[in-house]
Amino acid sequence: MTDTRRRVRVWGLVAQQAAARGGRVSAADVCAAVVPGVAVSGAWLSAARDAQAGHLMQVTDEVGGQLADLQLTLGEGPSLDASVSGGPVLASDLADWESASRWPAFAPAASSAGAAAVFVFPLVIGAIRAGVLGLYRDQPGPLSDFQLGDALVFADTATMLLLDAQDGAAGGAAARTGPGGQPAGLASRRAEVDQATGMLTEQLGVSITDAFARLRAYAYVNDIQLADVARDIVARRLRLFPDPDLPLADKA
Amino acid sequence: MDGQLLSETFVELTDTMVADFDIIDFLHVLTERSVELLDVSAAGLLLADPRGELRVVAASSEAARLLELFQLQSDQGPCLDCFRSGQPVAAADLSAGQRWPRFAAAADQAGFRAVQALPMRLRDQVIGALNLFRATAGPFDAEVVHIGQALADVATISLLHERSMRRTDTLNEQLQTALNSRVVIEQAKGKLAERLGIDVNQAFTLLRDQARNRNQRLSDLARALVDGTQAITVPASGTPRASRPRTGQPRPGPRPVP
Repeated sequence: MTDTRRRVRVWGLVAQQAAARGGRVSAADVCAAVVPGVAVSGAWLSAARDAQAGHLMQVTDEVGGQLADLQLTLGEGPSLDASVSGGPVLASDLADWESASRWPAFAPAASSAGAAAVFVFPLVIGAIRAGVLGLYRDQPGPLSDFQLGDALVFADTATMLLLDAQDGAAGGAAARTGPGGQPAGLASRRAEVDQATGMLTEQLGVSITDAFARLRAYAYVNDIQLADVARDIVARRLRLFPDPDLPLADKA
Repeated sequence: MDGQLLSETFVELTDTMVADFDIIDFLHVLTERSVELLDVSAAGLLLADPRGELRVVAASSEAARLLELFQLQSDQGPCLDCFRSGQPVAAADLSAGQRWPRFAAAADQAGFRAVQALPMRLRDQVIGALNLFRATAGPFDAEVVHIGQALADVATISLLHERSMRRTDTLNEQLQTALNSRVVIEQAKGKLAERLGIDVNQAFTLLRDQARNRNQRLSDLARALVDGTQAITVPASGTPRASRPRTGQPRPGPRPVP
C-alpha cells in the first residue's frame, strides 16, 4: 500500500510545467499542473507563513483570481475554513443548501463569478502553515476518489515547494531535492519526524516552520535520511543547537 | 464479557460524539476501551488516506502502534488483508502460519501471538480497520469479534459527526482534518517532551489530561501549544523545568517561546 508512484507521477506533471516555462520548479507550477491533472477549470494559490495572512501568489485564470479576492473582501469562504480546520473544504455544488448555509455571501458571489464547485486544500503539515491551494469547476460535481487523491498529492507538493522557497529567502539550506528529484521530506511522513520537529522548537527556540527547515537541512547536509535524523532526535541521541556559528550538532 | 462495562463503554462513546469532540482523542479512547472490554493486549486503528496509503491514527500502546507501522512498511499482515478484502481476518496463532512470515516475526518480537482485524465499512467503501492483538495464541470468541465489530462501526460513524452524513465530501474533509490533527498532536508531544524532559508517550498522556482539565479539544490545545499561544509548564512528575538541558551543555542564547 504505497503511493510512491502517484507522487512521482504528480511530481513529473509539475516538473513539466517548470520545463515548459524554462524555470526552476516552484509552487506556481503546481497551480498550473493541477488544473489538467485533476480536470478542474482553474486554480489559485496563496502563500502564508506561520500565522501571518496569506498573499495570492498564482492564479490560472480570471475566475480563480476573483474567487480568491471575494473571500478576502467578504471575510468568509472555503479558504478561510480550510486554514482554520487544517483539512480540505470540498464544495461540489455551490448552489446547494449546504454551501449556501456555510457561506451565505461567498456562495452566490462565487456562482456569479462563474464557479459551480470549489475545492480548497490547506498547505499544512500539522501546525506548519504554508498557504492554500484552491480549485474550481464551472460545472457542479465532486472530485472522484482518484482525483481527490491526486489533488492531495499536488497540495503536498506545493507545501514542500513553498517551504523550500521560504527557506531559500531566509538563508536556510532545506531547498534540496530527494529521491526522484522531489523535495526531501515529501515521502517520509512519520510520527518521529513530527515529534522531532516539535522537539526542535524547544532546542532551537524557533517556530515549528523553522524547526522543520532545520531538521531537513541537517538531514541534507549530513546526507542522512530525514526519518533517521528524526529517530535520533526523539531517542535523544542527537541535539541541534541554535547558534549557526557552532557546529550544527553533536552526538550526545 | 462484562455486560455492565459493555453498556457503559457504548454510553461513553456515544456521549462523547454528541458534543464538538476531537476525533483523534476519541479514536484513542476507543482503542483503549477495546483492550479493556475485549480482554486483548492491545488495539490499533488504521484509516485509508485517499492519497493511496493507510495511516495509523490511534493505538492503545506503543508496541501496537509500531506493529501497525511495520505492517504498512512491509506491506503484509492481517490488517492489510482485512482492509483490502473488507472482511474480518483472524490469525489465532501467528507462530503456526506461513501467511505473513515477516509480520509474524515482528508480532512475536512485540509480544503478540494472535490478531483479529475488523473492517471499518461505510456503505460499499472500506475506510480503515480496527485491529486487536493478544499475547496468547488461540481463537477469538465469537462475542469478542461481534463487539469488536460494533466498536469498529462506532469508529466509522465518528468520522461523519459533522453536517450531513449523506455528503461523500464530509467523510473526506473529516478524514484529512483528523490526519492533520494527528500530525499537530505529534508535534506538540515532541515540544512538550523536550520542554519537560519526559518521553513522548508521557507527553501524550499529559497533553490529554491537560486538555480534559481545561475542557479543551486535544487538537486545539496541541495547536495552541505548538503556536506558543498556550503553555503547559507543570510536568506530571513534578520535575521543574530547570532540570534541563540534559546533556550538560549550556543553553546558548535566550529561549523565546513564540
